[in-house]
Amino acid sequence: MHVSQQIITLARLVILTLVPYVLAAQGTMLGGRAGVFSVAQEGIMLVSAVVGFLGAYYTGSLFYGALLAMLAGGLVGLAFAYFTTTLKMDQFVIGLALFFATAGLSTLIYKIAIGVTLKPPLIPTLQDIPIPLLERIPFLGDILFRQNVFVYFTIFLSVGLWYLLYRTGLGLEIRSVGENPLAADSLGVNVTLVRYATTIVGGMLMGLAGAYLPMAYTGTFTEDIVRGRGWLSIALTYFGGWAPHTIFLAALFFAGVEVFAFRAQVTGIGIPYQFLLMLPYIATILVMIPGFRWAREPAFLGKNYDREKRGIS
Amino acid sequence: MGTHLVSMQGIRKTFGDVVALDNVDFHLEKGEIHGLLGGNGAGKTTLMNVLYGLYQPDAGKIYIRGQEVRIRSPRDALAHGIGMVHQHFLQVPPFTVVENIVLGTLPKLRATTHLEEEIGKIRALAERFGLEVDPLARVEDLPVGVRQRVEILKVLYRGVDILILDEPTTNLTPQEVDALFQSLRFMVDQGLSVVFITHKIREVMAVCDRVTVLRDGRNVFTVSLKETDEETLVRGMVGEQLDVATSFLFSGRREEARPRSFGPPRVEVEDFAVMGDDGTLAVDGCTFHVRAGEIFGLAGVAGNGQRELAEGLMGLRAVARGRAHVNGIPVQEGATREILNSGVAYIPEDRLEDGFLPRASVAHNLILGYHTRPPYRKGWFLDWRLVFQTAWDLIREYNIRTRGPHDIAANLSGGNIQRLMLARAFAHPMKVLIAHNPTRGLDIPSMEFVYRKLLEQRAQGVAILLISEDLDELLLLSDRLGAMYEGRILGILEHPPFDKYVIGRMMAGIPAETR
Ligand SMILES: Nc1ncnc2c1ncn2[C@@H]1O[C@H](COP(=O)(O)OP(=O)(O)O)[C@@H](O)[C@H]1O
Ligand SMILES: [Mg+2]
Repeated sequence: MHVSQQIITLARLVILTLVPYVLAAQGTMLGGRAGVFSVAQEGIMLVSAVVGFLGAYYTGSLFYGALLAMLAGGLVGLAFAYFTTTLKMDQFVIGLALFFATAGLSTLIYKIAIGVTLKPPLIPTLQDIPIPLLERIPFLGDILFRQNVFVYFTIFLSVGLWYLLYRTGLGLEIRSVGENPLAADSLGVNVTLVRYATTIVGGMLMGLAGAYLPMAYTGTFTEDIVRGRGWLSIALTYFGGWAPHTIFLAALFFAGVEVFAFRAQVTGIGIPYQFLLMLPYIATILVMIPGFRWAREPAFLGKNYDREKRGIS
Repeated sequence: MGTHLVSMQGIRKTFGDVVALDNVDFHLEKGEIHGLLGGNGAGKTTLMNVLYGLYQPDAGKIYIRGQEVRIRSPRDALAHGIGMVHQHFLQVPPFTVVENIVLGTLPKLRATTHLEEEIGKIRALAERFGLEVDPLARVEDLPVGVRQRVEILKVLYRGVDILILDEPTTNLTPQEVDALFQSLRFMVDQGLSVVFITHKIREVMAVCDRVTVLRDGRNVFTVSLKETDEETLVRGMVGEQLDVATSFLFSGRREEARPRSFGPPRVEVEDFAVMGDDGTLAVDGCTFHVRAGEIFGLAGVAGNGQRELAEGLMGLRAVARGRAHVNGIPVQEGATREILNSGVAYIPEDRLEDGFLPRASVAHNLILGYHTRPPYRKGWFLDWRLVFQTAWDLIREYNIRTRGPHDIAANLSGGNIQRLMLARAFAHPMKVLIAHNPTRGLDIPSMEFVYRKLLEQRAQGVAILLISEDLDELLLLSDRLGAMYEGRILGILEHPPFDKYVIGRMMAGIPAETR
């Protein structure tokens, strides 16, 4: 194989790897910018992976599968918003509880629907859809524009969220709720609505991240399909400084190191594989140390707003 | 009721067991500046938060322009033309001035890159009311006085005609207060009506047309300024809890009460510098001394290094430069125990965070810091009988509302926590006292009590460093008065009477002219 061909293959792999990280981290970021901090990503991704898989299996359409997965993620987001924003319960505790609940639910759903079989059911994986004209750009065309629809959506989403948050009136309102909800409330911004909406949409994005896994990688559902990607998306949200564009770059970096480590493992350049497995995490931590200096989290992150309570609860 | 612009009737509001408002009436007329006067905790803020939709009343009716209304949220209040400027700025610090002002008024998908029209409108308003600001500045970079103007512009921008200002002069220099009063006059001339919340009678006399006095969540009276005088207002504010005639707080300075001679310096500070939390020098070269038997006042807008100075002198922060001696002890980080043991009392600014153990008992808290010394310590153990006896005495003397020394301290309210800290500081013999905002949040009788205690200690030869954001308090008590700005002391006035405008200039960063 040509060297350039090899680079293209690796780069394509990096792009395919970063999709679930970006989706889940953008979902985390969106709720967080309004002050709602979820730690249920891992569970939401699991349950929506199974819902997306079964949906696609029974309807025969990946599109409907993905839609159902988003619905599942959105419902968990709604539950999270209800417990924290309406009932003012501790966000971390509720996030953990929802993680356990959804993670348990995912295996249950699969067992009820499929049971134990020797031959697990399969769904077709995502097709590459080349984009006319753009696909012909040398290098970039192969890497970016002959990919599956999730890849396009992920890029579009990251740009779109950036525009929404930093360039529109709505974005100003969302960010103000995560910084100082009392200030936002006192100017007539509907704090509850903003927190519900961002949490639900955030949950839908996490759901999409979950659905991507069987649809792009395996074609089947297994209990360990998420493999900590949900937890990592939290770290990437911090690493990405709670902003859509830098989260994308952070995920790109992490996916790059992961693909490199995987390659090194396969080609076997004499480095113990345990170390290679650790490499992405170590590299991320090393980059995060200076990264944390500029990364500023929303001032009201993880707190609940109660108009009549003094201070913060 | 058709004649009033705003009419609140029989308003009641409780928070748990606390009755914040009990059957309160309030009427605002068009084109007036209506003072809402009362001590801390009187219910002024609560009443106006009800009008602004932030609190839902338990009972009572609100009429606006003769119509009965229900105000469920600030959004409703704004729709009725009511705007409120809160005592603690409700701003988003990383946003620019224009972003803070237009927040919530833009169409959802309106691009925020082209706000020329909005900026023009803000500029015009700023000009009209004498509230100069740079619309593109980031709010977190602005000094307090300018942030205050941003708050007012925020509500004017929404075209309100009823403006509520909650203690707007907190942390303004005297010059800025004058400018604010002028702007308020412009506003009523242009048809606005203003509710002006304050606990300072002087401000009511200076700017209001009428005044409603609240005490303990109840109406005392409403009068026109033409038909009242300071004495009546004072009595209205404090009721029977305080003998106004003999009060120090309302008597102004009494020269005969001050000692004519001072002892040797007990606090000596030379080119002292202390690092702030953000890694820059929060205190950057302070030089002053405090002698036995004097009160050295230190004025300044909050956040100019006062807190770091106090903590630095108590050995709670690393000294970055220079030298300081407190009660003869060389100051360095970690010398806190030694400094305290030598007879230094410290009243920290943030009483909920520093020097207070919410999970420990009231008695524990009352002897905290003194517990390693006699008389409380007997050999290896604490003399509990003495501790509890002392605690009971202090609870009584300082009027701390608690179930007793055994109760956990977290059950105390803010004002009572403060009394506890004061009791602890004043109950033990001392040579030096460092007090930071000792009366913030206290009601008037408690303030009077603190002032008397300070004077008592001074008469006994204690050297007192009084750091305060309340300029009136400093003018009343200080023997010498300095002002702090950005970590430096810009000047020290050596003896009363002090010119508050000179201090105000120093608080704004303009050094005192050398005379
Ligand atoms: N959000 C709240 N939660 C609990 N208690 C409150 C709250 N707001 C005010 N209070 C209590 O109500 C009383 C009146 O407070 P406030 O209206 O702030 O007084 P003022 O503004 O006159 O100083 C005080 O006892 C205060 O502790
Ligand atoms: Mg108040």
